[in-house]
Amino acid sequence: MATSRYLLYFNPELINEPITYRMVKDFDLVINILRAEIDDTGGKLMISFEGSPQQIKSAIKYLTDSRVEIKELNEYVRKDAERCTDCGMCVSICPVSAFIVDRTTWKIMFQSDKCIACGMCVDACPTGSMTLGQ
Amino acid sequence: LKRTVEEINARIKSGDAVVMTAEEVIDLVKKDGLGSATEQVDVVTTGTFGAMCSSGAFMNFGHSEPPIKMAKVWLNDVPAYGGLAAVDAYLGATETSENGKADYGGAQVIEELIAGKPVKLKATSHGTDCYPRREIETFITLKSINQAFLFNPRNMYQNYACATNSSDKTLFTYMGKLLPNMKNATYSSAGQLSPLLKDPKLRTIGIGTRIFLGGAQGYVSWEGTQYKTNVPMRNGVPSASSRTLAVIGDMKQMSTEYVRALYMHNYGISLSVGIGVPIPVLDEDIMRSCAVPDDQLFAPVVDYALQSRNRKPVQEVSYAELRSGIINIKGKKVRTSSLSSYFKARQIANELKRRIEGKEFYLTQFVQGMPEERAMKPLDVHSYEEVA
Repeated sequence: MATSRYLLYFNPELINEPITYRMVKDFDLVINILRAEIDDTGGKLMISFEGSPQQIKSAIKYLTDSRVEIKELNEYVRKDAERCTDCGMCVSICPVSAFIVDRTTWKIMFQSDKCIACGMCVDACPTGSMTLGQ
Repeated sequence: LKRTVEEINARIKSGDAVVMTAEEVIDLVKKDGLGSATEQVDVVTTGTFGAMCSSGAFMNFGHSEPPIKMAKVWLNDVPAYGGLAAVDAYLGATETSENGKADYGGAQVIEELIAGKPVKLKATSHGTDCYPRREIETFITLKSINQAFLFNPRNMYQNYACATNSSDKTLFTYMGKLLPNMKNATYSSAGQLSPLLKDPKLRTIGIGTRIFLGGAQGYVSWEGTQYKTNVPMRNGVPSASSRTLAVIGDMKQMSTEYVRALYMHNYGISLSVGIGVPIPVLDEDIMRSCAVPDDQLFAPVVDYALQSRNRKPVQEVSYAELRSGIINIKGKKVRTSSLSSYFKARQIANELKRRIEGKEFYLTQFVQGMPEERAMKPLDVHSYEEVA
């Protein structure tokens, strides 16, 4: 089993399609909607898929065929190790506890695979070490 | 056992001094006992690295041809105070840029100067017979100017409150982003490594004490602003914000490793300053306070939703609890964040230890001790007659 996170962009014509339902029904994926937005340019869905690599691959193919734009979210939020002073302000801000304090070195570790790209750490970081990609 | 600073310095010179960090002596006292630890160790090093808003830099730019008596001064569009002699200015860390960038200010200019980057200097004047020039715009670096020293009126707070927020709105404060409904709490002290918590009555720290300041050798110059002693005590140590120190040091010897500009979103600019203080182990009493661990050091929890100087602490929590990542406030589990870097505090204590062992840093007997008693006064609105 693997978990991957994606940002899906739907053009306005696709908004009424039950695409998320198909992910569950046709590809048997465990999905978790992390964020969803709709405006006049279309819809944006941040989603995580849990399933076998084959299931995820088929789902991605289906989405691409349906003209959904897909972006895998690996390093959506980045930590600048040079600027970071390891204070830990981000630790209690992050809703998914993606920042861990290493109790031996007292360095702050950013686990980007847990990150849901909410951006709450970005304006909380006093040294400006966290940046949000597009 | 009794030791003097002179004896310790002689041992540093001969290479025999035993120097340990405050963390290391906590373990040593647990293992060997107080008496033995006092005999073994000559110096305990401490460290802290956190936001110290009351900081700034004095600079002398040198004279231009023709000369100018700078009245208004800007560095990278950040106003500096020029109400001093012709080419002297003071750049406050929290001053904000006039070019509309809320996240750029005095602290950022200070960091860029220390990093060796060129900074734009602009100054204007009304012109005088002896200083005819009325404006200048040029670029300076830390190397090109005569003097540049940090002179920080309030640094190294002896303890500080832990901040939380009981309101239903996010608060942006100098203690960072405080989430609604007490979803988090922030604190800002190196606890068991913090200089003034390890010598709580300032028996060894006074005017003239040599310290590690931003990577340079600096000095304690005065009692810090808002210095106070009338605070609650736990285990012989203040359990609320108490003493502070004014410090001074040469920016030209500093490093951005230990001086860093900060921007607190929707609050403003601040400067993170790294400071280390060596504590001479004069006797058992000094070693006892040096070895007080995080679980015996306490901070008050303060609710920043109350916008008043009179807010009372909700409760006290230990630094061990704060550092565990979760504290319990009235039965509610609240996640914690440190605003000061414990990683850096330890790095500074270790670096200071290395410098003392390497005979690069000697201890000082202070020239004058700090006030034993001091209360902090409020500011109220009065008429001339009421205060005359």
